[in-house]
Amino acid sequence: MDELKQQLKEMLVNEMKIQGMTPADIKDDEPLFGDGLGLDSLDAVELVVLVNKHFSVQIADMEQGKEAFVNINSLAQFIEKNKA
Amino acid sequence: MTKQWTLKKRLEAIGHGFFYLTMHFLGQLGAYVLLVPVVTVYVLFGRGIHRATAPYLSRRFPAHGRVDRWFDTLRNIISFGQVLVDRGWLGMKAGSLEGEFDGYDRLLDLIKQGKGVVLLTAHVGNWQSALAKLDNLPARVHALMKYDQAAVAKHYFDLDERRSGPPFEIINIDGPFGGMIEATAALQRGEVVTIMGDRLTKGSSVTVDFLGSPMRFPDTAYALASMVDAPVVVVLAAKTGRKTYKLRIWDVFTPGFEDRSKRGEMLTAHAKKFAEILEKYLRQYPYQWYNFFDFWRQ
Repeated sequence: MDELKQQLKEMLVNEMKIQGMTPADIKDDEPLFGDGLGLDSLDAVELVVLVNKHFSVQIADMEQGKEAFVNINSLAQFIEKNKA
Repeated sequence: MTKQWTLKKRLEAIGHGFFYLTMHFLGQLGAYVLLVPVVTVYVLFGRGIHRATAPYLSRRFPAHGRVDRWFDTLRNIISFGQVLVDRGWLGMKAGSLEGEFDGYDRLLDLIKQGKGVVLLTAHVGNWQSALAKLDNLPARVHALMKYDQAAVAKHYFDLDERRSGPPFEIINIDGPFGGMIEATAALQRGEVVTIMGDRLTKGSSVTVDFLGSPMRFPDTAYALASMVDAPVVVVLAAKTGRKTYKLRIWDVFTPGFEDRSKRGEMLTAHAKKFAEILEKYLRQYPYQWYNFFDFWRQ
């Protein structure tokens, strides 16, 4: 699970280009949206696409998004649970 | 709900009921005829209607004086009333309007590519009746919209008892991610997502010039398309006669950006392109703009 979390942090920093941050700066329980990393609804789209691209896991609706997009912990858990 | 609001809703419901009754007995033409005195009285004595149409009409016809502006308002509201009548009429008599789709084969080809299609449209012409044309597309169609099931002015598909629902699946924009997750998933499955590109109700936006003044336009269509590499197809509807309408593809483009720092630039460039298409459309159909509030002050 720790390796997956690290992959997610690298994905956020390298592919979503979150300014002024390194993977080490992102805490596992830091909110992804709003306060915290400050992602917005447009970023949610990018995150859905990236999760699908890297882990072949589809986040299909708002309920799943709410479950997965809380923080790195929840996103890692969601991917683990839904990986084929 | 306040008493004033309840009364307004009731009066609105009575008005709609009266028109449906007229349509039932006298048909679409009867409702059109009834529309003229009703709208004339409304435009003569209602001050609110002039305030509502002025933001658009003053920009579309800047040289028009008071008298011309009065007639512009009359034509704009009659045109809007006819579209509402058509919507009800289509609900009562499906297939009673003849639609032409300029570019339909091109849309089919884009759907066949399997990357999903963002169908970008606007609150112009008889857009709701025209959406019935999407019934026959070889992919599921979704509409990213705010859907008020309790609205008095029903969608035509709510009125048609033969239908089990709308000709598309509604992705409601209410919610934490504004329907973006569902829309992304639909595009990834190669489906069609219809988005209104003119009216900002919720979500992300950019400011671009429209009819000479800056205005906020929603940018979700371009963001969605760029993330999944789907084409944006700009389709606008126009009422061309009492029983005819036309859908036309005005442009097709695939938005993209290198990295996050370029995203804002890309969104603005495409919103500007869409605003220019709308201006072109309004030069051809000046009275088919149905956004009756001051967008420019949003």
